Amino acid sequence: MLEIKNLKKSYDGVTILHDINLKIEDGEIVSILGPSGCGKTTLLNLILGLTEADSGEIIFNGKDVAKCPMEERGFNIVFQDYALFPNLNVYKNITYGLKNKPNISTKQEVEDMIDLLGLREHLNKKIEQLSGGQKQRVALARTMVMKPKILLLDEPLSALDGVIKESIKEKIKQIAREFKLTTIIVTHDPEEALTLSDKVLIVNNGTISQFGKPQDIIQTPDNDFVKEFILNQLLIKKNNIFSLFAQGMSQRAEAV
Amino acid sequence: MENRIKEKEIKIIFLFVAALFAVFLLIPIARLFIKSFEFEGSIGLGNYIEVLTGRGFITAFGHSIAISSASAVVTTVLAFILTYTIHYSGIPKTYKLLIRRLAVLPMLLPTITYGFAIIYSFGKQGLITQILGRQLFDIYGFNGLLLGYVIYTLPVSFLLVSNTMEYVDKKFTVVSRIMGDNHIQTFIGTVLRPLLGTLAASFVQCFFLCFTDYGIPASVGGEYDVVATVLYNEMLGSIPNFNTGSTVAMFMLVPSVVTIALLHYLEKYNIRYNKISSIEIRKNTARDIILGAASGIILIAVISVFAVIFVVPLVYEWPYRIEFTLEHVKSVLTDRSLIGVYKNSIIVAVLTAFFGSLTTYGAALTTARSGISIKAKRLVENISLVTNTIPGMVIGIAYMLIFSGTPLQNTLAIIIICNIVHYFSTPYLMIKNSLSKMNASWETTAMLMGDTWLKTIVRVVTPNAMSTILEVFSYYFVNSMVTVSAVIFIAGARTMVITTKIKELQYYTKFNEIFVLSLLILLTNIIAKAVFGYLAVRKNKSKN
Repeated sequence: MLEIKNLKKSYDGVTILHDINLKIEDGEIVSILGPSGCGKTTLLNLILGLTEADSGEIIFNGKDVAKCPMEERGFNIVFQDYALFPNLNVYKNITYGLKNKPNISTKQEVEDMIDLLGLREHLNKKIEQLSGGQKQRVALARTMVMKPKILLLDEPLSALDGVIKESIKEKIKQIAREFKLTTIIVTHDPEEALTLSDKVLIVNNGTISQFGKPQDIIQTPDNDFVKEFILNQLLIKKNNIFSLFAQGMSQRAEAV
Repeated sequence: MENRIKEKEIKIIFLFVAALFAVFLLIPIARLFIKSFEFEGSIGLGNYIEVLTGRGFITAFGHSIAISSASAVVTTVLAFILTYTIHYSGIPKTYKLLIRRLAVLPMLLPTITYGFAIIYSFGKQGLITQILGRQLFDIYGFNGLLLGYVIYTLPVSFLLVSNTMEYVDKKFTVVSRIMGDNHIQTFIGTVLRPLLGTLAASFVQCFFLCFTDYGIPASVGGEYDVVATVLYNEMLGSIPNFNTGSTVAMFMLVPSVVTIALLHYLEKYNIRYNKISSIEIRKNTARDIILGAASGIILIAVISVFAVIFVVPLVYEWPYRIEFTLEHVKSVLTDRSLIGVYKNSIIVAVLTAFFGSLTTYGAALTTARSGISIKAKRLVENISLVTNTIPGMVIGIAYMLIFSGTPLQNTLAIIIICNIVHYFSTPYLMIKNSLSKMNASWETTAMLMGDTWLKTIVRVVTPNAMSTILEVFSYYFVNSMVTVSAVIFIAGARTMVITTKIKELQYYTKFNEIFVLSLLILLTNIIAKAVFGYLAVRKNKSKN
């Protein structure tokens, strides 16, 4: 279990995040959702250990890791731009960490991960020969080989287009389920957050606006921000799509 | 963003770079500065008064400004014509490539050679004078200097203008035409205006190079004294005076500082396009013929000056016995002292390239890929700025003052360090540019995979920076082969390199040897460029 208590962070006297309190159960997928500049990426970096909190606790399995350096926490991240190494091919990227920690995954586990993410036919390819979705899957595989205790994903879907987006969503869900892996995702897209995760953490102006299951957020929004920024956006989308389909229906009706 | 990654290694690299430049740049220049105020045993403005009131310094300073400005204007116009031909005309691709190659050719030869080439081309018995049957102009003085400087600065100006023109969004030409502009308006609005900053920068850069070069005035300056010749005579002339020499060196710094300040100011005028789109060049045969011919004439003029270095050493006795012979080449190649000089040059160039690449790479890592403090990063940036400002002659003189009598005197090491410091700026910026374009998350990702910082640099960053590192290696190599202005003050009898040997051979008017040695430099540089270019391209391919 990951528990965050009274986390605070500021840069040069400007408070970015304050009063962050939350609990995430093992194996849960949690999305951090909010407009740009709300502090969601900072929260992700705090959990990862890339930045140090001013005050507060980050308790993982009963131990406060807030002062622990990044590489000792055992969490891992897939960056938005994947940060794949262009001088290495797909397979060498996936097994990069094994050079340092040879025993972290067995040969079989690596092979299974390659198959799970459908990368077998791409193993000898160079990074730039891959499509966006393929790159995302390579980055996921490279991270999963390290057996992270928590998986962090920074905007994992924003660079992908329609159909690919849905398939990557499924892969993320599958990985979280199969490995009972706590997964934390940063996103600015309400639809993505509410359809992908078990719980959604809505951040606004540096603090938690609402934290709950997607259904709860839809049915009982806590405040105006959630209502106007999050729900309204979904509503407009919904109406657009409905009217599109309605037009299609009526035209078909006329044709008949 | 603040970073929690600990980087002990980068601090060590930073300290090394800082120490190197403290000892080999800051202290020598400070010493020179103090020396310029030492007058008859006390500190004062005596030298400055003496310099400003006597021995024609003011005249030389005026000459320097006049000739440098004239050369800078001519060079920039010529470079513009060449680049415009490449980017806006429909001449065949191979011709464009030829222009690109030939325009930068003079870079591969020392400036001191240009001067002698001019003498042997346009002098009373020069090659071109012989062909035309009369001397076109008096080569000693303004004309010779102008020709030499233009050839010298053309490659730099060409690269600068070409680089910007490549990134001018050509679609604006279409927009301009659709909006009803006439040809001249389109040209001004979409070609000239976006290039204004660069053209000014080219002028400033060329001015700086002409003002501080010693090689060309050493050979064709004649009675037309410039600051560089005054400086040389003060330090190594018949009646040397180190104190007034230091003062002259300080005066040479003034335009240098001004030009660099101007360059920084001009950067603001560079227009940045978000996207570069290329368009089909409109068919216009008349334009193509005019531009193609103009570029051709410019390049033939440049090449013809150099033709002589292939001719003179390969005949018995220019211009009296013009029969082909390899005698002069043979005599140089069997002359133990000349071969020793060539060996020295190669050793200096290779070691400069190796340690120079290491130093610039280390410095660029601290600024582009580390979480070291802003102050430390600013220091490295300032080092780059300062090395860009200080003319080679000034560094050479400062070294001569401070390292005479130390074990470093008359060693190849001092020449190598001098070259590394003198040419630091450009390669540093090249690597920094390439490093900062790389994905910012690599180090974090690799660290999460269990890498140390150093391991990431070895496994990921360096392989991806390899093609740029090779370019830097080649840059240092070629420049070490051709530089003369700094090394002339620090090369000893046993540590002669080719360029300083050429200067010495001038006293004995041994021009056959001078041209053979120049050819050796040219061939070595062409081979080096070809090899490093090939390796860089291969690296790039294997990466893609």
